[in-house]
Amino acid sequence: MRSIVEFIGVTRAYGSRLALDDVHLALEPGELTFLVGPSGAGKTTLLKLINREIRPTHGEVWVDGIAAHTLKASRVAELRRRVGVVFQDFKLLPRLTAMENVALALQVGDLRVSDDEASERALDALDAVGLGDRGRAFPHQLSGGQQQRVAVARAVVAQPPLLIADEPTGNLDIDTSWEMMDLFGDIAAFGTAVLIATHNVEIVRCLQRRVLTLVQGRLVRDQPAGQTGRLAWLASS
Amino acid sequence: MAGVVVKARFRRRRIVRVVAANLFRYLFQGAARNWFRNMGSTAPALGSMSLLLLMSGLIGLSGFALYNLEQVEAAQASLLHVYVREGVASADVNALWDRLASDPRVASVNYTTKAQALTRAQHIPGLPQLADASESNPFPASLDVQVKNIDDIASIDSMVRNNVAVDPSYPTSYDRGAYQRIQAVLFGVAVAGFAFLSLLGFVAVTVTVNSIRAAIHSRRDEVTIMQLVGAPRWMVRGPFVVEGAITGGLAGAAAGLVTFGLAVAGIAAGAGTFTRFAPGVTVTVAVLAALIVFATGLGLGSGSSLVSIRRHLES
Repeated sequence: MRSIVEFIGVTRAYGSRLALDDVHLALEPGELTFLVGPSGAGKTTLLKLINREIRPTHGEVWVDGIAAHTLKASRVAELRRRVGVVFQDFKLLPRLTAMENVALALQVGDLRVSDDEASERALDALDAVGLGDRGRAFPHQLSGGQQQRVAVARAVVAQPPLLIADEPTGNLDIDTSWEMMDLFGDIAAFGTAVLIATHNVEIVRCLQRRVLTLVQGRLVRDQPAGQTGRLAWLASS
Repeated sequence: MAGVVVKARFRRRRIVRVVAANLFRYLFQGAARNWFRNMGSTAPALGSMSLLLLMSGLIGLSGFALYNLEQVEAAQASLLHVYVREGVASADVNALWDRLASDPRVASVNYTTKAQALTRAQHIPGLPQLADASESNPFPASLDVQVKNIDDIASIDSMVRNNVAVDPSYPTSYDRGAYQRIQAVLFGVAVAGFAFLSLLGFVAVTVTVNSIRAAIHSRRDEVTIMQLVGAPRWMVRGPFVVEGAITGGLAGAAAGLVTFGLAVAGIAAGAGTFTRFAPGVTVTVAVLAALIVFATGLGLGSGSSLVSIRRHLES
């Protein structure tokens, strides 16, 4: 089975500082993986490399068969349609309703999607995240948790093979955070590879999923699901 | 019973319609909505572009008129009037005419009667009074010699001024110096116009680029989100370019209308005077100038936007 994401000897430097140092990893379809580590460990850099917001200084980054490390700027959109992204600050367009925010992701990726089809699929996605009745609400009319759910619906509405999330529970209370994790678990169960960068040790410990630990840019531990013990970055920090 | 394959009718046409509707919405409708929303921040660009385009239109029209004026003056300066002596035999005049017409330096020779000279003089400021002051026609008949090269006019003048058919007291007239003075003035005006237009253009482009950059900056989150959800580059840049085209188009339309209005008002009010000072500027030329100003506005607006959004995305 081909990996959805593959890092081969990836190094990323900002000037003389190494944000990532010789990282090798692979993510498989349907796998929910946590990316943990102290602040400045390189988690966000790793996610940005997957989404081709930056290029590696050395090494290869493969995303669903696309060589992100050599991808031209004109073809970046093609890669990003295969990667759903969820942010800590949601990044919803405030002038669009929840449904329009979700439908936007469908139509910018494929202009052949009609308004009716986009609305129908957006409502399905909102329904799947428990917001089927809030499609007409604007972001400012929704709670933080609800906005994050809309962001998740937008990320998965086009059924990408990969979902990456950067601190998705950073702005949420603990109950909402657990609901979000259940949602990510459901998405992975449908075959999407999910990679979540988080500081939330409690959730990582309890869920017992695969955990990648970054410390000072190096991938110091790759613990398979069900074998998550004491987190390496806690021990080293 | 065999299954029946039912093909969807007009599927391709439906897809084309959907794509066109989406293109219209994301490129034009969104751009128009954003333009109205950001009208306040676009106003400086709109004002400076309108001013620039109006000045361009007027300077362009003036340049066109000056070019035509130069052509007219050049033709007049290379025209040698050879005044015919009163009561001379027509055979002598014909002999002089033939001699001039056969000269390779001469383009053409025309005979102007006394009556025609009087009619012509009545259209020149100051001369009608002179004509009225005299009971008889004071203007002599002449051979009007159009010389091919203005540098040859002096030698042709000296060749004919002692001819028996030529008036000995006032044999010829031409004004080569006037043409050279006009050329010098035109050159000065062209340099000053170009410098002024360049300065105004620089200011207008800078103001436009900065105001559009400010609009992009205020919507940087939107740009980022569009990029992150996989919008192709043209879909991210397109609405900004259309917004710039709207700004430039409006500025161009306003400036074009004013340019057209001023030119037509000048033509209508000045009539003969205007035609003499701005030869060639007709209603058709004014319409063309207005269209060029409008097209320049569109190009300037969309081009400035493209430069701004490209710089923003690269930074």
